[in-house]
Amino acid sequence: MMVASWKLYAMIISTLHRHFILRQIIRSKRQATVFVMCVSLSIVSLIALNGFSTSVHTSLLKDARALHAADIIIRSNYDLSPAITDRVEQLEQDGIVASARVYEFYSVVRTEKNRDSVLAKLKVVDKGYPFYGQIVLQSDKKFKDVLTPGSIIVSQTLLDRLQLKVGDQLHVGQALLTIEDIIMQEPDQPVNFFFLGPRIFISTDDLDRLDLVKKGSRVRYACLLKVRDEKQINPIVQQLNAVADRDFVYINTFRSAESGVKRFFDNFLFFLSLIGIFTLLLAGIGIQSTLTAFLKEKEKTIAILKTVGATSKFFTRHFILILSLLGLMGTMLGIFLGFVLQHVLHVLFKGLLPPNVELVISLAAVIEGLCLGVLVVGLFSFLPLHRLKDIKPITILRKESIRSKKNLPYLMTASVIFLSFIGMVLWQLREVKTGVYFIVGVTMLILISAIASEMLLFLLKKLKLKPLVIRQALRGLFRPRNATKPIIITLTTSLTVIFSIYLIEQNLDATYIQSYPPAAPNFFFIDIQPSQLKEFSQSLGQKAEYYPIVRAKIAAINGKKINRQSQRQRRGDNLARTFNLTYRNHLLKDEVIIKGKNLFREDWHDLQVSVLDKVMEIKKMAIGDRIRFKIQGIPLEARISSIRTRTRESIQPYFYFVFPEKALQDAPQTVFTAVRVEKHRRSELQTELVKKFPNVSAIDVTETLSIFARVLEKLSLIIRFFTLFSIIAGILIIISSILATRFARIQEAVYYKILGAKAVFVLKVFTLENLFLGMVSAGLALLLSQIGSWIICSAILEIAYTPFLLNCFFLILATVILIVTIGLLPSSSILRQKPVLFLREQTQE
Amino acid sequence: MNLIEAKHVTKTYTIGDRQIPVLDNISLSVTNGEFLVVEGSSGSGKTTLLCLLSGLDRPTSGRVLIEEKDITETPEDDLAPLRNQMIGFVFQSFHLVPSLTAIENVMFPAELKHDPRAHQKAQVLLKRVGLATRIDNFPHQLSGGEMQRVAMCRALINDPKIIFADEPTGNLDSENGEAILELLLEFHRERHSTLVLVTHNNKIATMADRMIILHDGRIVETIRHDYQHIA
Ligand SMILES: Nc1ncnc2c1ncn2[C@@H]1O[C@H](COP(=O)(O)OP(=O)(O)O)[C@@H](O)[C@H]1O
Ligand SMILES: [Mg+2]
Repeated sequence: MMVASWKLYAMIISTLHRHFILRQIIRSKRQATVFVMCVSLSIVSLIALNGFSTSVHTSLLKDARALHAADIIIRSNYDLSPAITDRVEQLEQDGIVASARVYEFYSVVRTEKNRDSVLAKLKVVDKGYPFYGQIVLQSDKKFKDVLTPGSIIVSQTLLDRLQLKVGDQLHVGQALLTIEDIIMQEPDQPVNFFFLGPRIFISTDDLDRLDLVKKGSRVRYACLLKVRDEKQINPIVQQLNAVADRDFVYINTFRSAESGVKRFFDNFLFFLSLIGIFTLLLAGIGIQSTLTAFLKEKEKTIAILKTVGATSKFFTRHFILILSLLGLMGTMLGIFLGFVLQHVLHVLFKGLLPPNVELVISLAAVIEGLCLGVLVVGLFSFLPLHRLKDIKPITILRKESIRSKKNLPYLMTASVIFLSFIGMVLWQLREVKTGVYFIVGVTMLILISAIASEMLLFLLKKLKLKPLVIRQALRGLFRPRNATKPIIITLTTSLTVIFSIYLIEQNLDATYIQSYPPAAPNFFFIDIQPSQLKEFSQSLGQKAEYYPIVRAKIAAINGKKINRQSQRQRRGDNLARTFNLTYRNHLLKDEVIIKGKNLFREDWHDLQVSVLDKVMEIKKMAIGDRIRFKIQGIPLEARISSIRTRTRESIQPYFYFVFPEKALQDAPQTVFTAVRVEKHRRSELQTELVKKFPNVSAIDVTETLSIFARVLEKLSLIIRFFTLFSIIAGILIIISSILATRFARIQEAVYYKILGAKAVFVLKVFTLENLFLGMVSAGLALLLSQIGSWIICSAILEIAYTPFLLNCFFLILATVILIVTIGLLPSSSILRQKPVLFLREQTQE
Repeated sequence: MNLIEAKHVTKTYTIGDRQIPVLDNISLSVTNGEFLVVEGSSGSGKTTLLCLLSGLDRPTSGRVLIEEKDITETPEDDLAPLRNQMIGFVFQSFHLVPSLTAIENVMFPAELKHDPRAHQKAQVLLKRVGLATRIDNFPHQLSGGEMQRVAMCRALINDPKIIFADEPTGNLDSENGEAILELLLEFHRERHSTLVLVTHNNKIATMADRMIILHDGRIVETIRHDYQHIA
């Protein structure tokens, strides 16, 4: 028999290499399939991600002009100084530029007779705006022809919300304006998700009549310039910068200007590319482990063929050919799937992308994906292939393990592989710092997995367990020449990655999405007079928490006067604005004290105030510091008694400064409340309350909230979608790991049966063995991922961390079940069949 | 009483649409305590016959009875106790469980039936075959002859009524082979078990109660050595 097969093989070597290759593939079709899938997975995820991000980038950049509606953008949070406006005027007179002023701010707008109101985002623009891009109106008329003094253009949501139609009138500030048209598309606000409240366009001619833009009001001032000669753009920016107070004014060209949309997508795409690189890593591990299993099955054949004179070169060449063939198949499949995915992405990102972004997977993306794919296949298959050299003919006779010689060329090649991998990561992430973190993290992860699995296996080995089933299962783990350790390391590493992505995603979800639960308040009532409180509460007819508000400014901290000028220059919040103080003696449900014992101290007898930690972002303060407030001109100095933080982001109201009840009870104040009003009651309630309490403003944020929630949900859906790739990679890794032990399992199952074991016994042994395997690696992975994601959440994302232990329990359960099931598959067919077939197969082995 | 009985057993393999007859209408009975040798050229169907007689394989047609119980249609699980306690196998290529040491391999069938003396019995057996110092070796750390001796101990530990040995010497040199066969015979005589042995060793074959010769799937000759009983 043996001699016959030798002859056969010798014949194959001398003549038909093609058959050799084909046979090797067909014989190990399972491994081949997993290999192809890993390759295509890495390629499809790269192509999809890179294609998507390049489309976003190019469209955003290509239309950067439209995105900013101008060549030069001058922005400030304060009215532009005469120095600048004069200069612009001069340039305009010289015919070098055209300019348009833009004012943006939020304001509550009301229907006629105050029937209804809504918080809207107003944009007051000069004639000429926009210089680039187009505002598409429902009537198809030209924007500049429609936006005349006295008329406004609004978004459909506003009309829906206030039940108005074109031609109706609207109170904006002090003016009553007529709705002239509906905005369909806005060039510099392509993503209509990212602002609160519906849009209203107003002509600058009406600006004064609104009486809304005053000193101290929160307005974003801008002046847009269109430059006749493109070459003049940079010189003009220089000229303007020369006269501008650069602390107050930001002057940018359309190229350098940051847009919120771009910044958002930059961050988002970066996060996605991180997931992409993890998928790449996992797919690489999958390739490596499946290839090891593949070549393991070939060891015997290779040893036999070597005895009849086949050289190592023969195998290396042929297996490289086989891998290239399989790699090519995977690549083709990956590219094909990439194109299919393009359509999925389109649906996925619908409404989230600027309308001008076309999701096309470009040739460049395909080529880049291809190159990276080839690199991954090459890198991860080198080591298993390298082992081919070390297979000796003696392997057939004595079943000793094949030890790879770790000589200099081997080590050098290994380091080249490692370096190339680093290069690849850096290339994909395009950011050195994160890339270095990533590599250090992954290396540590593998190292820790290795050490931990070594320790756990050592402990398991020491265990002296009685029941035969358990003993056999453990013996299986320590099968001589068994790949248990590499399998555990592989599984632990990949499961850690997947668990971490899951945990981070859950935490992001909890922080951002769960903060807007269906029960979140959607109505804000402000300016309720204390005297109206009883009656208002009756009319509202539902439970609500009322917050007294005392408006105040900060005069000094620890005796040092606030520099209003410099405070106002701050990009974020500032101490110069008016604050809403409140008083109460208890903590809110979502508040905890981080410094100090209680909200207020009993051992202090002077006035106290509790400060929210957000204030620290503006200025560092400590317990005992004194803040001097001014309430309608009357000074009030308080000592900081505690510092609070909020436990989660949410739409619930919060206050920077909380005083003891007694301190502010008698100060001039209004009352504020936030409640959840059911859909059917909204209009009715609002109408009724506004009629009864004309001074009370009702702000309905239902639409804004639901849009916001939708966006966040969409984002998390996209993240989940890309996480899916890494999960598939993980499953492939599990399959390939299990396949690596397939022969050993089948063999053992047959032997057990011949010796008189029932199917149940064999099932129990294998289930237990895989259970050990699964629990050890999933358990380790859970531990590592908890630590990892805690670090990422608290140090990098700066969000609160929840371990989600219950979810993790199910995660582990699912993983273990998966591992056990996949582990049982190869042995299941043997159990009911006659052992003889497999016995003959084993003899052949 | 006939311990094993084969009635018109036929085995045909189908490869593609080609039918390959391997055993052709074989009827055979083996009595309790008999030593039966099966001979025949390679490919004549010896292994196939042994597999059918022992229930490791199912005949295409015909029946096999062990202790008058038909095993041809018995579900696999119901054969387990039979394999565990009634039958011992020794194969040409040993078939030791690679993850178990020598003594664990030997103990295993006894442990399966919860024999508290499994370890002791295994130790005695291994000592007897001269492997006292090798009990903790894994199969891959043993020579062919040693492996086959372990396999034999494993087949014997539950004191089976029948031992099937399929060319147990096929992978061994003549000296080792001879020793293995001697041991098998020793056990057979000692315990009065039934021994069905496939071998090409003529010296051993002449010691058998009966020898059948297979050719192309048929029994072409039966030789009885009645003197064995006299002696
Ligand atoms: N699974 C199988 N499929 C097809 N033919 C088989 C199979 N197993 C055995 N054979 C054939 O059956 C014949 C008898 O095999 P076997 O019983 O192993 O012979 P022996 O043990 O006498 O050498 C041989 O010709 C062999 O090729
Ligand atoms: Mg045979």
